[in-house]
Amino acid sequence: MEEKKEYFRWVESTYVNPDIDWKKAEVVSAGIDVGSVSSQMVVMCDGQIYAYSNTRSGSSSPNSAKNAMELCLKDANGLTLDNIHYLIGTGYGRVNIPFAQKAITEISCHGIGANFMYGPTVKTLLDMGGQDCKALRLNEKGKCLNFLMNDKCAAGTGRGMEVIAEILKVPVTEIGDRSFDIDEEPPPVSSTCVVFAKSEATGLLKDGWSKNKVLAAYCAAMAGRVVDLLNRIEVEKDFAITGGIAKNKGVAKRIEKLIGVEALVPKMDTQIAGALGAAIYANALYKKAKK
Amino acid sequence: MFEKFSEILTNRHEYARDWKKRTGGKVVGFFCSYAPEEPLKAAGILPVRIIGGHKSSDKVGKYIAPNIGCSFCRDALGRGLEGDYDYLDGIVQGQTCLHTGEAFWVWQKHLPVKFSYFLAVPHSTQTIGREEYLAVEYAKFKTALEKWIGKEITNEDLDRGIESYNTNRQLIRQIFEFRQQDNPLVTGSEALDLALSGQIMDRDEHNAMMKEVLKKLPDRKMDRDPGTRIMIIGSVNTDREFMHMVEHECDLPATIVIDDTCTGIRYNFNDVNPQEDRLMAISLRYNHRPPCPNKDWPRRRRIPFIKHLIKTYKVDAVILFNHKFCQPHQLDNAVIEREMKAMGIPTLTLEFDIRIPIGQFRTRVEAMLETTMDII
Repeated sequence: MEEKKEYFRWVESTYVNPDIDWKKAEVVSAGIDVGSVSSQMVVMCDGQIYAYSNTRSGSSSPNSAKNAMELCLKDANGLTLDNIHYLIGTGYGRVNIPFAQKAITEISCHGIGANFMYGPTVKTLLDMGGQDCKALRLNEKGKCLNFLMNDKCAAGTGRGMEVIAEILKVPVTEIGDRSFDIDEEPPPVSSTCVVFAKSEATGLLKDGWSKNKVLAAYCAAMAGRVVDLLNRIEVEKDFAITGGIAKNKGVAKRIEKLIGVEALVPKMDTQIAGALGAAIYANALYKKAKK
Repeated sequence: MFEKFSEILTNRHEYARDWKKRTGGKVVGFFCSYAPEEPLKAAGILPVRIIGGHKSSDKVGKYIAPNIGCSFCRDALGRGLEGDYDYLDGIVQGQTCLHTGEAFWVWQKHLPVKFSYFLAVPHSTQTIGREEYLAVEYAKFKTALEKWIGKEITNEDLDRGIESYNTNRQLIRQIFEFRQQDNPLVTGSEALDLALSGQIMDRDEHNAMMKEVLKKLPDRKMDRDPGTRIMIIGSVNTDREFMHMVEHECDLPATIVIDDTCTGIRYNFNDVNPQEDRLMAISLRYNHRPPCPNKDWPRRRRIPFIKHLIKTYKVDAVILFNHKFCQPHQLDNAVIEREMKAMGIPTLTLEFDIRIPIGQFRTRVEAMLETTMDII
């Protein structure tokens, strides 16, 4: 029997920094971001990234946190939860992480995480997550000064892109590149509604559109939708994107074109920004409490 | 200390039914706070504000499309169509927005009551002749009421109505003043229940309850961290679940210290100044009350009012409470947001439906609270 291919799946990943010995660290801090679609854990040793994991969320937030934690610590040279001095939960499931000492919203954590990831010049951040999308204005320390979020609709988010991948049977990780493999940029689809996506995509394919052209039209529509948020919050350079969709060039490049500003190039996995921010807060709060 | 107000508000329909039984009087529902309550009280009638129950009703969509109709009006009408307000003898609408007008007209047609009155209110309370105009409309309203109840409403009756409502508003303001303290002695949730229960209760009974509270309130000890001081700005706030979430369920402490809503200070800010022509006196009060955006043009007098409250109540952050499809407030919110930004006050705009996604709202509120402080 042929195995059913899951086009929405993206690669779950882990990382351990070989240059750091956690046993020598004065402060081992951690952040866990339980989002609606993905969960991450980041461990920091004295403010430097030591290990992280990036995995899919399940239906239970405590289990998602546990999975992210187990995956992160699996190859972390004997590091256990007991060795972590302070752990902060963030994301949609932040209040249901049993081993977190504190919860901070993903909005603040993404700001701090992006500051670490991209540097202090980031003034405007777009976090495109699994089921929501937020535009943030940051100060030079990464503190969120103002933010706007989409609501009540998953269009323009990671989950929306996963649905399109399944409908068109195109691996989600290939959507970005394939959306540029077209002769001419098509107009954006009229509706980014995830529920109506199937009928709209089917209609376009029947009209003779190639899959790549349909993907281009979807990426353009999603970009247009999130640009509304950016325009409302007023983009100031530098601009950066975090979250899973930052990895989708088809959306990211079209956003850049619409706002006329190029996003900074990510130096690490953009999906870990929330957990990274939580780990940074954990490091700072632990040190503050010790004083 | 405020439990009784909360209890009556929760059981508001039982309260109204019991009031009718106790007094043999009539109960009239009103939609918008521009309906004058004083003449109703003078006529021996209990005015009750028609509010929603934060419950969906499949009976409303037939009359008001959910994708264009204001969520508050749909909810209020839904409660009527579900029979929650079956004790009403009459309904009154003081003209403001089209949505409340629509709810009134649907109610009038499909939930017949013995008395229904659409009262004209000046389109803007800044126009020349507005005071005389409204006084004339009140005279027509008074005549209609007299015809319905079968007796004259005398000046003495009007004085009693005015006195009861003036006392009520003064007592509410006195209690609200305790929210100005560094550690407010009244939470926003309590203040909402206090003021909103007034809009569904006999004001003399409400006054007696408030006087009891005022005896004890100065000695009240609050065992909570007030945290960030928040102001709610919007139309009509009846969302007790939201208020509770902000003050009691967030990871960071917060207190709602004041509001600019018609279920709060906006409705209770000014009194009727007695004068020989009682209806003119009432007209002056409604014309000069802090305005709703429907009445507040061409100049936006709300902005200085909001700024005054921000200063007096030492507000740190603002939540713009907007009912879905409430265009008048949406229009004002853009200006208010700009003004708040200029003042450096963090502002969060939330769109309320009949039911709210409490988890999403909590994230947004907590994120705003985080912007008001240095976590590290």
